[in-house]
Amino acid sequence: MSRSRKPAKDLSRREFVHVTAVASAALALPGAPALLGRADTLRIGLIGCGGRGTGAAKDCLTSSEREDTTGGLKAKIRVDDAHAFAGFDAYQKVIASKVDVVLLATPPAFRPRHLAAAIEAGKHVFMEKPVAVDPVGVRSVMASSDRAAQRGLAIVAGTQRRHDAGYQAAMQRIHNGAIGDIVAAQVYWNQGGLWMKPRQPDWSDVEWQIRNWLYFTWLSGDHIVEQHIHNIDVANWALGAHPVKAIGVGGRQWRTDPAYGHIYDHFAIDFEYPNGVHALSMCRQIDGTASRVAERLVGTRGTSDAHSVITGAAPWSWDAQTPRTNPYVQEHADLIASIRAGKPLNEGRQVAETTLSAIMGREAAYTGKEITWDELLNAEQDLVPADVKFGPMPVAPVAMPGQTVLARSWRSA
Amino acid sequence: MHIAGKISLLLLVQNAPPPPPNRDSIPGTLVRFETVPVPAGPVTVPTSRGPRSVAVGPFAIGRTEVTWDDYDVWAFRLDLTPQERSSGVDATARPSRPYGAPDRGFGHHGYPALAMTYFAAQAYCAWLSTKTGKRYRLPTDAEWTRAVLLGLGGDSALTPERRDALGWHAGNAAAKAHAVAAKAADALGLHDMLGNVAEWVTGMDSGRGGVVRGGSWVDRPEHVGPNARARQTPAWNETDPQFPKSRWWLADAPFVGFRIVREP
Repeated sequence: MSRSRKPAKDLSRREFVHVTAVASAALALPGAPALLGRADTLRIGLIGCGGRGTGAAKDCLTSSEREDTTGGLKAKIRVDDAHAFAGFDAYQKVIASKVDVVLLATPPAFRPRHLAAAIEAGKHVFMEKPVAVDPVGVRSVMASSDRAAQRGLAIVAGTQRRHDAGYQAAMQRIHNGAIGDIVAAQVYWNQGGLWMKPRQPDWSDVEWQIRNWLYFTWLSGDHIVEQHIHNIDVANWALGAHPVKAIGVGGRQWRTDPAYGHIYDHFAIDFEYPNGVHALSMCRQIDGTASRVAERLVGTRGTSDAHSVITGAAPWSWDAQTPRTNPYVQEHADLIASIRAGKPLNEGRQVAETTLSAIMGREAAYTGKEITWDELLNAEQDLVPADVKFGPMPVAPVAMPGQTVLARSWRSA
Repeated sequence: MHIAGKISLLLLVQNAPPPPPNRDSIPGTLVRFETVPVPAGPVTVPTSRGPRSVAVGPFAIGRTEVTWDDYDVWAFRLDLTPQERSSGVDATARPSRPYGAPDRGFGHHGYPALAMTYFAAQAYCAWLSTKTGKRYRLPTDAEWTRAVLLGLGGDSALTPERRDALGWHAGNAAAKAHAVAAKAADALGLHDMLGNVAEWVTGMDSGRGGVVRGGSWVDRPEHVGPNARARQTPAWNETDPQFPKSRWWLADAPFVGFRIVREP
């Protein structure tokens, strides 16, 4: 029962943000070297103040806490009313608030436009996964990532397995040949259902959908993109590639009530990678079914769970007694350290490719067609309205294999 | 009666089978569970002013740790009809939806429910009481101690062999929790009091939250035993990436479970 992790300072949510939509928090980090000509202070803006965004902000502050900081975390958070904003344009106000780093944690639909605005304004970015819900969004994120690279700006994504010491240790060995050539992979995120907020009479269509963003493809990308992306990312990481094509099945069998929007509740996808390597992907959100959240890599000389065990010719296992930093904190520590070192991390293209990989699986199931990378990357699929505002919005029909087409837009919904 | 007869009668008394367990079920389901009667008596508990003897009344304690078979009924509302589930009307508090695989892939049917908060373990007992009309709750620290010591008989010392026979610990568990009752029963008929999952009990100093007893599959053998106690630390829920963190599930404590007590 002795897990050696550094405990976070206690902090109530109320003390951190008092607006539920969008707020900016300013953070002073004493004793740091000058940054991009600024003083030794990094100011952090938070865009998206739900449970995950608030958690990300807290993890960001915890990640960079210095030993000489007095007053603890509470003293470092200064959000006055003039820097707390609400509304669909609040992200612009946060970005304009003289912050250095922005944390993007709204529902994924808004990520591409928020990222573009942040990079254009010269901000470093942490962004939650997934980073888009459709190919138009993925292309935007790729362009923003390239722009960030040109401008020396950092982008770190919330695919936190990439910042987990166990995954890093296993993956380093795998990339050095510990299991030989990878010939197959299996990745899973099977679990029960998630939360749903019953519609209230005073909610418009758009407000209801955003409050239940998981259940609308235009907002979340569907659960294969929103949740299973973590496991697909591990396959991409291990193989050093993205899939070239996919076929798949999926459906909406149990979670059929309109309160759950129009997303599927299960997918099974066959991803094909370069050199004929296949990865089985399976994800499900159905109560009372077997849960499994895991990855398995099969090589010519062994197998691995990608984070704690390698079997075969070069066996290895993670020593459970080794202190392991919280990857949700480490991802912020890595971001901040890279900014301070003047060597900004840029995970933008990597996470954009993983997002598109997950979208490939979704579209293989939705359309019933074989989906190739090039076809998908260039597809005219644009699911997010250009100008989202509270008001009427019909729910797109549940995707039907053989009928749903890849090229589709919010305009035709 | 000659001397040999007296000796055999004495042995018979000492080796008397434990009293039969109480059998109960969760109405509307096929789930069955058992509690084992524990006689009243004194037990020595540690206090801030040193060890103290306290009197414990009679109670019955779960023969095994609460399993997913039991816990799922509550957590996933399996006792409600589809109409009741969709209506959202429910008399009792239920856990939030677990994120990911709550059983961590260790196993489900027959495996101990794990990684629930002290609050959730208490809420389960409250629900079970409402559901069955009987009085269920967590053991007190003193009750758990009395049960584990009676189970070990007169000798509570643990040789490595005896510890291995009774409990799963870091030295024999292969880095996972195991199905309940896979290890031998103790003299009371209880399984897995030592190791497997550490078990929530009501703390000795009420108001400071719960304590887990017995040690678990993550603990080194010498830390699994009748005196093992631990309190929750921030590390037990550190990687819940949400804020505020869950009050029902512990993201980093797949070594914590509980067993129930039934009041007479």
